[in-house]
Amino acid sequence: MEVIITICLGFMLVFAIVAVMNKSLLKSAIALALVSIFLGVILYLLTAKWAAVFEVSVCSGLVTVISISAISLTHEEKEQLQKKYMDKRRMAMLPYLLILCGFLLVFIVLTAKIQLPYDQLAEPSTETLSEALWDNRQADVWGQIIILLTGAFAVVTLFKEA
Amino acid sequence: MRALQYVSMLFVIIPLTALIVCSLIKRSRQNAAFYLLSAFAAAQVGLALYGLMLFNSLNISEYSFGFHITQAVADVFTLKPASLVMLLCIGLVSFTSLLVAYKTMPANKKLSYLRLLSALIIGMNGIVLVNDLFTMYLFIEIIGISSFVLISTTKTEEGLESAFIYLVMSSLASIMLLTGLAFIFMRTGSLKFEYLIAINNTSAEVSQNALTYLSYILVISGLLIKTGAVPFHSWLPDAHQSADTSVSVLLSGIVIKAAGVYCLMRVTDIFGNLYAIRLSLAILGVITIAVGAMFALHQNHFKRILAYSSVSQMGYMLLGISAGGILGFIGTMLHIFNHAVFKSTLFTNAAALHEEVHTLDIDKLGGLQKQMPITATTSLIAFLSTAGIPPLSGFWSKLLIIIALWKANFIGFAAAALVLSIFTAAYFLRLQMNVFWGQTPEHLQSIKEVKGTIRFAEIMLTIITIAVGLGFPFILLFLEASGII
Repeated sequence: MEVIITICLGFMLVFAIVAVMNKSLLKSAIALALVSIFLGVILYLLTAKWAAVFEVSVCSGLVTVISISAISLTHEEKEQLQKKYMDKRRMAMLPYLLILCGFLLVFIVLTAKIQLPYDQLAEPSTETLSEALWDNRQADVWGQIIILLTGAFAVVTLFKEA
Repeated sequence: MRALQYVSMLFVIIPLTALIVCSLIKRSRQNAAFYLLSAFAAAQVGLALYGLMLFNSLNISEYSFGFHITQAVADVFTLKPASLVMLLCIGLVSFTSLLVAYKTMPANKKLSYLRLLSALIIGMNGIVLVNDLFTMYLFIEIIGISSFVLISTTKTEEGLESAFIYLVMSSLASIMLLTGLAFIFMRTGSLKFEYLIAINNTSAEVSQNALTYLSYILVISGLLIKTGAVPFHSWLPDAHQSADTSVSVLLSGIVIKAAGVYCLMRVTDIFGNLYAIRLSLAILGVITIAVGAMFALHQNHFKRILAYSSVSQMGYMLLGISAGGILGFIGTMLHIFNHAVFKSTLFTNAAALHEEVHTLDIDKLGGLQKQMPITATTSLIAFLSTAGIPPLSGFWSKLLIIIALWKANFIGFAAAALVLSIFTAAYFLRLQMNVFWGQTPEHLQSIKEVKGTIRFAEIMLTIITIAVGLGFPFILLFLEASGII
């Protein structure tokens, strides 16, 4: 299992770098979704099943849909965008270097056989979803709903021409 | 007990109702929403005062509650006297902000302002009521999102830029907070305040550990960014200056205190009496007071001076936290309340000047004492209170903080706090002289005193400043009689 987790961590690192460094916003958004999927796998393996479900469905599903639809609404021509980023060429080697470092890290971890602290791993929870969300973390649920509402208001305030 | 149950639930229900009403109402009826939200803010002030009375008569120190729709729900909120004082400040400052916004906010932005304000009030009420570190973080984020957008509602270039700076700084704070919380959770397996305080006092393995210390540093640094203490203060003056004045009232009056100082107080509660943390907070406090005051001396924009003054006053609150003990706690809470009142007064004065003179550049203002007597007098009283001149309210809170520092053996810091309050007087004297005193220039002869809601807010807040100042000996006597000090 450590092998899978370590490889997933490596992929997360690689796609995170792609998300930050890629010139195309669309590819960045897709790379970000992939980061979330690998994080979901790790969460699943670490027995946090509900967290994994939410990570994959919300962070890689919903958020990607929202960001891709936002990107499709931007008006700037693609060439103009690319021209804007042309002078960033001096950093061109950096992503490859970082990706290489990522692979190297995974390789080192795998060869050195570093153990995960299994004694600290939580027992699989017996709580049902409603117990976990409503009975024990009620305030968090309220908070999440209000954050979503506030985000909606923020978009309306900033982008709707009155 | 039943009364307390209803009162405590209303603190959650009232802002939620406000948010729902504001999101459903049409633009043509926005004034109705304005009156409703003002009534709600005023009701919160009344409820907080009533709650304090209830706590006194029931003789309890805290009350936990939740919304028990099903049986097994845990109590997710906790009400304490300190949180009631915060709720009082939140209601008062929101009310003031609404009074100011009624005049200053452009008509097509009013509805957005109301919606975001109700979200902001929920966030602040939440922070004050929660009993779990992670929920606290969640509500800090609500405050963050609504304040970014409130700062940039007018969509000027400076507004958007300063909101972006705030956004970047806040993300940094969020990363630090979350990482710190993850470390704490790794060590203890829970983020409930009660549990953390208990385990820190009993288990040396948990409390004296490199990872625990690292998590303290991360959490405190994150909260210091939200407070605007000195190495992390760069976002604050820009945000205050470029936002609409009604938003500046909120930011300076309550947001930096609810999301910064109050959370810091709760977090330092957990860590207990770690000398290193208290010492570093005290050093940061003195630096914050000094640097904020120095910068305030060299600004030419009315609101920018007030913003740096807020930075400087945050230093006093940090000193109060570092002193610890019941005296430091009461001093800090009182300074939060006093600062909310007098800084709101000063920002309301800024709104009055902006409405009448249309500039806040203090070089272009002057000699307005005769033209705007109410604004000039209220500003003078607020600044005397800020500088800590007896018998105004600011004097008592600074006195308590300095006594607490003295008792905690931080004698040097107490002396520094005393000496540095001269700087407060200096920059406000400069402000007062440049804006209100001296000869009135030709082009300002025809200026009239501000009318309506802004004038009402100025007078109301000044009366509170004077009343709390004069009545404070009675509050002290009451605290002594009930055995708190």
